[in-house]
Amino acid sequence: MLIDANHLALTLNNREILKDVSLHMEKGEIYGLLGPNGAGKSTTIALLLGLYHPDRGEIALMSNAFQPRQVAVRQRIGVMPEMAGFYPWMSAKNYLVWYAGFYGGMQSTPRQLLQRVGLEAAGDRAISQFSRGMKQRLALARALLHAPELLILDEPTNGLDPRGRREIHDLLLELAEQEAVGILLSTHLLDDVERLCTRIGIIDQGRTVLEDTLGRLLDSHTQPRFRLHMLHTPENPTFPPTVRLLSWEEDWWTLEINLSQGVTLDQVWQTLLQMGWHFDEIHAQRETLEDRYLELTLSKPTKSQEVAA
Amino acid sequence: MSPVSLIMRKEHSALLQNQRGLAWLLAYTGILSAFALLLISNRELSLLDNAQVVYMMAGTVTAAGALIAVVMGADTYAGERERGTLVPLLTAPITPTQLLAGKAIGLASAWLAMYLLALPYLWAVGAGGQNLAQAIAYLALFGTPVVLGFGYLTMALSARSGSVLSALLTGLIVLLFAASPLLIGPGLRHSLIGKIIDSVNPFSGALNTYDAVIIDSEPLSAQLSRLLLVLVWLGLTYILARLASKQPAFQ
Repeated sequence: MLIDANHLALTLNNREILKDVSLHMEKGEIYGLLGPNGAGKSTTIALLLGLYHPDRGEIALMSNAFQPRQVAVRQRIGVMPEMAGFYPWMSAKNYLVWYAGFYGGMQSTPRQLLQRVGLEAAGDRAISQFSRGMKQRLALARALLHAPELLILDEPTNGLDPRGRREIHDLLLELAEQEAVGILLSTHLLDDVERLCTRIGIIDQGRTVLEDTLGRLLDSHTQPRFRLHMLHTPENPTFPPTVRLLSWEEDWWTLEINLSQGVTLDQVWQTLLQMGWHFDEIHAQRETLEDRYLELTLSKPTKSQEVAA
Repeated sequence: MSPVSLIMRKEHSALLQNQRGLAWLLAYTGILSAFALLLISNRELSLLDNAQVVYMMAGTVTAAGALIAVVMGADTYAGERERGTLVPLLTAPITPTQLLAGKAIGLASAWLAMYLLALPYLWAVGAGGQNLAQAIAYLALFGTPVVLGFGYLTMALSARSGSVLSALLTGLIVLLFAASPLLIGPGLRHSLIGKIIDSVNPFSGALNTYDAVIIDSEPLSAQLSRLLLVLVWLGLTYILARLASKQPAFQ
């Protein structure tokens, strides 16, 4: 296992940033680390990189061979931080050669590396002349220069145009599939996650609320969902056992209907009408990663609780 | 190339290739030029004798060097953090001690450049006088630990503070406090508090040595306690920087 982190907790400045975070990642996997702002994603990454030491919990990297604080493990990890900073007076090529010195040299020539991230024409230009997107590409080149086994990328496609995003996606997929590089991707862009990731971890308020493969995550809700336009909201709504209210926005209610006990949809609608529900539109909903993400990270009171209040 | 050499090389390039580094060196030579002109004018008008002029020039070089060291020290960690270049260094295969050593040697190299730039000015104001050689030697011996000490102290502040500005302001306040005996005048300097501050203040230690050696022609043997003071200052500030840089603030 490339990363085996269990029950991490960290308090900084008397604030409990992480309460119980776990993360498990295999070779060749692209892992999407998701969560709202302030959920603890960056702190989790900092723990994995040895920049903080957890108050509780354990981290083992590269099949238990290393702890994050060991300098030797850094030879095998490539990092692309959220802020792509460089020394503006250096050229891209000179910067990569200089930075590669920490790793005992580069695994390919600077030209090949720059070509891989789409910067071959800008190698001799001073970094001060680079756009934000070019700096993102250069940051990726920096992370790749020592051919790492594990790549940790924080918002790697920030500032890139659609073509640039697609190129970086293709490169990451190639690295994972052909070179078995494990990629930990922290991002807010769910499109990136759906396109790239095989496994997902969602952190909310310092806790891992879900860790699973993307396929299983989306398949886990096999029950159909519908949006109903309510003409009249029942004063004290009751729900048949086969119906679960997921969310509501004014007159629009989103329901999940359990059809596993041989109940048909027609029977469900009939039951609801008999219970005094009045609705004039029904829209079937497809489950997306965004739905699951919001469901897991949005804490809202239930409709019954709201009505009771 | 070792990690320390790589950091050192980067620090050199920041000083010599970066516009900001060159601007600071230019400002430093500007200060020295203005003071040299003033001192030469005073000497020509017989308001100051040759030894006094050399002493004041050596003091100016030390003060300007300490000021630049504070500015550079404040930038070492906090500046890297603000530019987004600290995390790549902290996640590279390099220990915090190696990172600090590279930056500390980089600062020492900057002081060497400032020292070499000061030599023509010292020669310009002190040529023909009898104590120019002593001024040059004692500037190296006493000025170096004082200047580097202020740089290392600000490095420690920079490693732990939230921004370059806060590290810089704190470093400048410490420098002003250290230079205060010079600002409060000879009367207060000879009071009990003035004497206590003088005895523990490395800045005063260096300046009092320049006074004793350049103006009064005292031997080195009479300056050993002051030499110890500035060396202890250098050692303590480096230890402080080492402790602070073990886990620098990076976010």
